[in-house]
Amino acid sequence: MDGGSWQLELMGVGVLPPMFLERTATQLARRLGQQVEIYPGRPDPAAAFDVARQQYLVTALLAMVEEPTPRAAVKRIAVTGVDLYLPVFTHVVGFAELGGRVGIVSTFRLRGETAGGRSGQEVLIDRVEKEVLHEMGHTLGLVHCRQGWCVMRPSGSPEELDSRDAAFCATCAERIHVTAFATSDVLSWRSEGR
Amino acid sequence: MSTATVPAGRLLVVDDELHVRESLSRWFIEDGYEVDAAPGAREALARLGQRRYEVVITDIRMPGIDGLELQRRIHEVDPNVAIVLITAYASVSSAVQALKEGAYDYVTKPFDPEELSRIIAKACATVRLKEENVRLKEQLEASLPEIVMGTSPAMRKLWSLVDAVAPTDATVLIRGESGTGKELVTRVVHAKSQRRFGPLIAVNCGALPEGVLESELFGHEKGSFTGATGRRKGKLELADGGTLFLDEVGEVSPKVQVELLRALEDKRITRVGGTEEVPIDFRVICATNSDLEEAVRNGTFREDLYYRINVFTLEIPPLRERREDILPIAEHFVAKFAAAMGRRVTGFTPAARDLLLSHPWPGNVRELANAVERALVVCRTGEVGPEHLPIGGGRPVAPGGAECATDLPLREVERRHIEAVLAAHDHNISHTAKVLGVDRVTLYNKIRRYGIAHRK
Repeated sequence: MDGGSWQLELMGVGVLPPMFLERTATQLARRLGQQVEIYPGRPDPAAAFDVARQQYLVTALLAMVEEPTPRAAVKRIAVTGVDLYLPVFTHVVGFAELGGRVGIVSTFRLRGETAGGRSGQEVLIDRVEKEVLHEMGHTLGLVHCRQGWCVMRPSGSPEELDSRDAAFCATCAERIHVTAFATSDVLSWRSEGR
Repeated sequence: MSTATVPAGRLLVVDDELHVRESLSRWFIEDGYEVDAAPGAREALARLGQRRYEVVITDIRMPGIDGLELQRRIHEVDPNVAIVLITAYASVSSAVQALKEGAYDYVTKPFDPEELSRIIAKACATVRLKEENVRLKEQLEASLPEIVMGTSPAMRKLWSLVDAVAPTDATVLIRGESGTGKELVTRVVHAKSQRRFGPLIAVNCGALPEGVLESELFGHEKGSFTGATGRRKGKLELADGGTLFLDEVGEVSPKVQVELLRALEDKRITRVGGTEEVPIDFRVICATNSDLEEAVRNGTFREDLYYRINVFTLEIPPLRERREDILPIAEHFVAKFAAAMGRRVTGFTPAARDLLLSHPWPGNVRELANAVERALVVCRTGEVGPEHLPIGGGRPVAPGGAECATDLPLREVERRHIEAVLAAHDHNISHTAKVLGVDRVTLYNKIRRYGIAHRK
């Protein structure tokens, strides 16, 4: 994929398993065909904690993620292990400002179990990778997609997320000026078939 | 950044709490919806007056007008809008009441974001289906009169004029003989106008005495005349926002003509026995089969009213001047009445077609419809023959006019007619009696009295 005019940057918020962010960044870099930076700072989410709900207010965390403001071309997506909420919603897994610079993904409800000979953490990284691409899509102006396998299609459960590809459909790719997504044979085939 | 896309739907979020409005707005913007928010019912109603929303998501408990009352007010204006009610106070009774009063769904805070997304997506799809259904019905209703009234070059010219004048607000005068379908043309003009969502109110000016017509048109105040036990809106008021159809406008009395002219010019009326002026926004379509110009010349119809209503004229040609319409219209009525009466009748025999084409149809489409309906009473299967048609005595008539026995006494006409119907029905007494509209005993008596040769 040739993003060209933007660059993805990951940021950790709170405690994450050792090397989790680095391994996710490496997988995303391979997928995107460009370097994925990791922001050196790691804010403490405690200020966004709601005692009554025992959850963290996602808009408060987004404000932390936006400090300091990323450079114009950078899309900064935070990854956190805490459970997120928006008022009136039971929870949210990820959130981003449409057309903005920042987004956030929580691993709390994505916890992976060992499957198909892959460790729980490998499954979790696959899911986080898709959620990061999804939130990054929002920062690039994409809304939810109805295409079955597109990463911009919302998922109601981790299992549903597993059925999505870590890729944009041709329509979404065109809207964010992605010219190719050549890291997967399956995706190349789908691209040609459309 | 992104190219323009069609929104998934238009939502209005109504909640007195800012964080709820913001959360829902942000969530549904990501879902691809166009979202507006209002802090209360009054603001919501103001927004609904400015633009259309497929779904309104509203809190039940709000200061002032609550969510249930807001739902009632929205549905009074537009029953197709889907209302999803939200509340922090889950209660079975309020949920049941909301659903009984037409709420699309009812959710309790906090809700699963994906679940709410699914509810809203389904609500939008339902609303769009309803709207599509309404549009299709309108198209069907608008096209039906064209089938019923014909598609000959003369009628196609009329329909193109209808298409041209319908979207304007111009006053239309429809002229045509009795039975040509003036009211159907009015319905098409209304259905294709910008007032199609407003009412179409029809008044037959020729059917009512002067005093009654005046009250019918302008309404009356309580006690304005004996029997006026309460205030009543007139047809002009009822046509507010829509179209007023004045049929047989040439029959309006001189006194009512003056009042009608004033109402048409000022778009204001005063109810009979009242003093208050009521502003009304309506379009007028008039119809007549009388010679209005002659009426103006001899002073029975006001010249100023004539010019006021004669802005755009639609002339419906009589059926005898567009014979190519006769068979398609007749076939349409065969299909319609066969379905209604459960008859397996497929069309007309060649002789019946000749008869239909040769009849002058002085009663136009209405007469043709009646003739086909009566034919299907006696024709149960197969094709309608000349003997089934109540025209031309069951025999073909010379083109251009019906057989007209002007020099025969009535008893001779009756004798010949009975002979003809008997012959057409192969001397079957039951069928002949049915067509003649008499019982079998009466028919036997007449056969005996007239000395008609009867094959048993």
